[in-house]
Amino acid sequence: MVLMFPFRFAVALFREDGASLGTVPVDRDWEPVYEWTRFYFQRKDELALDGNGSASVLPLWEYTLGEPYCRGYRLQIAQPGRKPVASDFPKTHFRNIASVAASQLVEHKQLREGEMYSYMVVAHPAPPEEPHSSGLTVANASPGVPAQDAALDTFLARAKPSGILHEGDMPAFVSRRVLDEAAEQTNANQGTETGGILIGRLWRDAAAGEIFAEVTAQIPAEHASGTNVKLTFTPQVWTAAEAALRLRRKGEIYLGYWHSHPVREWCKGKACTPEAQKTCSLGRDFFSTDDEAVMRAAFPRAYSIAIVANDTAFTDLTFSMFGNREGITQPRGFYVVEETTSAAK
Amino acid sequence: MGNAESVLEIPLEISDVSGQKVFSVSNAPANNTVGELVHEMLGKMNLPRNDASGAPLSYQARLEREGRHLNASERIGDALERGDKLTLQPNIDAGAQL
Repeated sequence: MVLMFPFRFAVALFREDGASLGTVPVDRDWEPVYEWTRFYFQRKDELALDGNGSASVLPLWEYTLGEPYCRGYRLQIAQPGRKPVASDFPKTHFRNIASVAASQLVEHKQLREGEMYSYMVVAHPAPPEEPHSSGLTVANASPGVPAQDAALDTFLARAKPSGILHEGDMPAFVSRRVLDEAAEQTNANQGTETGGILIGRLWRDAAAGEIFAEVTAQIPAEHASGTNVKLTFTPQVWTAAEAALRLRRKGEIYLGYWHSHPVREWCKGKACTPEAQKTCSLGRDFFSTDDEAVMRAAFPRAYSIAIVANDTAFTDLTFSMFGNREGITQPRGFYVVEETTSAAK
Repeated sequence: MGNAESVLEIPLEISDVSGQKVFSVSNAPANNTVGELVHEMLGKMNLPRNDASGAPLSYQARLEREGRHLNASERIGDALERGDKLTLQPNIDAGAQL
């Protein structure tokens, strides 16, 4: 995939009275947005499963102010001989950049702590890019989405929903055995983060116009080193996972990873009251920026998912799932399957 | 005397850990180090160079033919053969940053 930028984006910050605080160039990771857009149209059968076409990031001008002010941006993917596909995203995707810039203004005493500010996104035509003189000649030989045919209904009939299901998310089915193993591993490592690699299959229901994932197994990350606040996935973890995947010979692929959050241990360290623990945001559906970084580095495709085992003092072990929704990693619901579906046999 | 192409440039296949991003390199310079190759490929493959806190991420290249991790200082011409497959494996933390 080649991502092209005919425009350069920037975030302009203003005081509450409208006075300008300056402009910062947008330097962000566009890959999750590209991956989500690509997979969204592949699910709808509007983009080839092996499509690695070029994509462009284009400004969406403000309705009233017009150019150069943006209400958001469009990610457009070209496909040979067919109409391009595109998704539009709001300017809130730039909020973090504005927030970081505001923090720096506070550090430099150009903005007071807690002072209100607003931001606008602007875009200007980019100058022509200098040709790269880099020596390596590379070609993208990435495999397409490895989806096999199956009926979504047969999975739904044997599954129970867990968490809040979002209409636009790819359906994700997780074998009960996987969750049981994750629970057992979490309990055996209480107080220390532990985890594993999620493997399974992608299925495609052409009639339903949907691609969905089935997590069939987890490979414990035996070579990972865990503490109460982190789990390090070493090169040895990936090598062992690859060997285990090959040994299984079931045509499974990597679908993501799971890890535990020993929240009860975190609470002990902070001496949180039982009441505070029950409402703490770390107790459920918490996915740190480090957790996201693992997804980005190891499981970049939009069909990848992550599961967190929440080990709290006030309830039994619970599981939260996270996935790429509109280019942002977000908590999502999933389905628990009591046994392997007939489609997977 | 060896083939000039095999001495100067080596074609390789490089993938991420998931095997979902695969790139073929037609001209890895034999005199470069594995570390230099990894560094350049991270950009080509759009793999992150930094972790969430901005610290550099370390990747190791695993050579499938020999089943071993290459040392960053190894010379491509010494360690690799035409058509070799490498996997870039990050050393990365999941964590809570409490």
